[in-house]
Amino acid sequence: MSVSRSESSQLMPNRVIPALGLLALALVWLLDVGTIQPNRIVPGTGHGLVSAVGWGGAALVTSTLAGSILLAFLNLRGRYLIQLALLGLSLALLPLLLDVFASRHLPEDSPFARSSIGAGFWCLLFFLFLMLIETLGRLGSRRGLELLLVVVIGGSWLIFLQSEGLESLSLVREFNARPAKFEQAFWTHLALAFGAVAISAVLAFGLALKMMRSPGWQRPILGLVSFLQTIPSLAVFGLLIAPLSALVAAFPVLETLGIRGIGWTPALLALVAYSLLPMVRNTFVALTEVPENLADAGRGMGMNERQLFFKLKLPLALPVIIEGVRITTIQAIGLTAVAALIGAGGFGSFIFQGLGQAAMDLVLLGALPTIALALLADAVFTMLAASLKPTPATA
Amino acid sequence: MRLWLPPVLLAVLLCGLSAGMPALEPLFHWVQPDKQQVIYERESFLFLLQNHLLLVLISAAVGTLVAVAGGIFATRPSGRDFLPLVSQVASIGQTFPPVAVLALAVPVLGFGEAPILVALMLYGLLPILRNTLAGLEGISPAVKEAARGMGMSPLQVLVRAELPLAGRVILAGIRTSVTINIATAAIGSTIGARTLGDPVIAGLVNGNTAYVLQGAILIGLLALATDSLFEALERTWDRRFSPQVAV
Repeated sequence: MSVSRSESSQLMPNRVIPALGLLALALVWLLDVGTIQPNRIVPGTGHGLVSAVGWGGAALVTSTLAGSILLAFLNLRGRYLIQLALLGLSLALLPLLLDVFASRHLPEDSPFARSSIGAGFWCLLFFLFLMLIETLGRLGSRRGLELLLVVVIGGSWLIFLQSEGLESLSLVREFNARPAKFEQAFWTHLALAFGAVAISAVLAFGLALKMMRSPGWQRPILGLVSFLQTIPSLAVFGLLIAPLSALVAAFPVLETLGIRGIGWTPALLALVAYSLLPMVRNTFVALTEVPENLADAGRGMGMNERQLFFKLKLPLALPVIIEGVRITTIQAIGLTAVAALIGAGGFGSFIFQGLGQAAMDLVLLGALPTIALALLADAVFTMLAASLKPTPATA
Repeated sequence: MRLWLPPVLLAVLLCGLSAGMPALEPLFHWVQPDKQQVIYERESFLFLLQNHLLLVLISAAVGTLVAVAGGIFATRPSGRDFLPLVSQVASIGQTFPPVAVLALAVPVLGFGEAPILVALMLYGLLPILRNTLAGLEGISPAVKEAARGMGMSPLQVLVRAELPLAGRVILAGIRTSVTINIATAAIGSTIGARTLGDPVIAGLVNGNTAYVLQGAILIGLLALATDSLFEALERTWDRRFSPQVAV
């Protein structure tokens, strides 16, 4: 097992965490932790670390980072576990800084005043996460531990966001101004992205089977789907508008089905077109790369081709197919945000609305959930693929 | 030389269309009969094309330099400690949707060309970094051992053995990066960069499908021309280096 290796590496001083910790320290002291805006559009005044959270808060942040740096040099057996606990706790309690900042600086009497997150805070968050990833990597992959961290950090952030203290946070203000729209955008985004993934999965499965049966089709099919992938998303969305409008004009019956030149129809079509390449490629590779000796063994056991496919090839190919679904889903979530430009809705509509009004917190309200959704899909499908990996009965 | 024909033809078509779009006015009148003006005239298409290309070229050049340097650092004995983190960051970073990265650049850096350039560089270096790591890590230790045995210094091993062997994979990374960046730069016109995305956005705002078509066609052609250029480069690379590699 790898225990002995990880134990020996545990006792060597780690250089990565100190490097990250020093960078984080420098940036959190140099950049503004937060800004106070008198209203939504007017740019606010920035506050550095000491001004934002006071000497006490600054000392706490500094000593936490310094402690983490020192811990990396210590010749201690369980130091990575302690490091993990320290970093996890800091990340879970990070919104407290914003809470303190808002309570210290927000003027009592102006209801439009809002606090915004500054670059220093983002940097602190980013580097703490990098240190956490590094620590997790040194500990070796432990699913249970990772899950616990996600639950603790995510849960703590959710509680903080719903609390009174962060109510003045501009991001929260933007959300509170339009909870119904946010929910609608969430479902539209999910429906478009997952709808495209589901449709393309079915299409790709069919195409992959066709390519397996008649190898002559391999080059044209792969060529076509990679051609589709090369065209930039904005161009595909744009190119679909004219033909779809013409189609609807020619057959008005389509319009009663909700099909139009802009909106969800071109978005879904384009998303499916984009999803085909990773899906077809992975499904085809997965199904063709089942070792021939296993297929022979199956035949020897008296399986016919149909049983061979469903009982042997498909289960063996499933992790690689899921990997294709993972890549496709992440890509579709990102492209759905672009589809807001042609009126398809989803989180992208907040992004582009915010850009149009120069309201940066509305941009964040669209961008952050999009990123969160992509990261979540990544985590879920990675775990699914790992759990489906067939384990040999005899090692 | 048949290899270089598609990129040259596509590039000629792209430049020709950018310069001669007004000549197609009757065609666009047919597409959009209810509008007086059917040719986008706020900027010349050639200027937009040049600006678009410049953004992608600068970000690809800087991204390649930084990513290859980072990849080399993380695979040397002195930087090996950083390898797990760097490769994790490269793969997690690619989970971030490019639009979201572009959108996040605005609150930090403001509107205009600068935030787009930074976003394109940062996002574009991830696939190059990942491929550089994969390429350098994929070289069999025996090859490096043999190079050292021939009396090469570490620098010579890197320049004369490792980089040529990893070059093909790094080139593929640059291709992925440039493809993504052409698409992202087009969306950049929503935050004030003047790229070929401009006519598309203007057309969507004004309900002028002719504008949308003009922008979309040029963006598509630009992507295809660039992709076929990389295709030709990769084939040429294979021809030049593969025989020696196979030994």
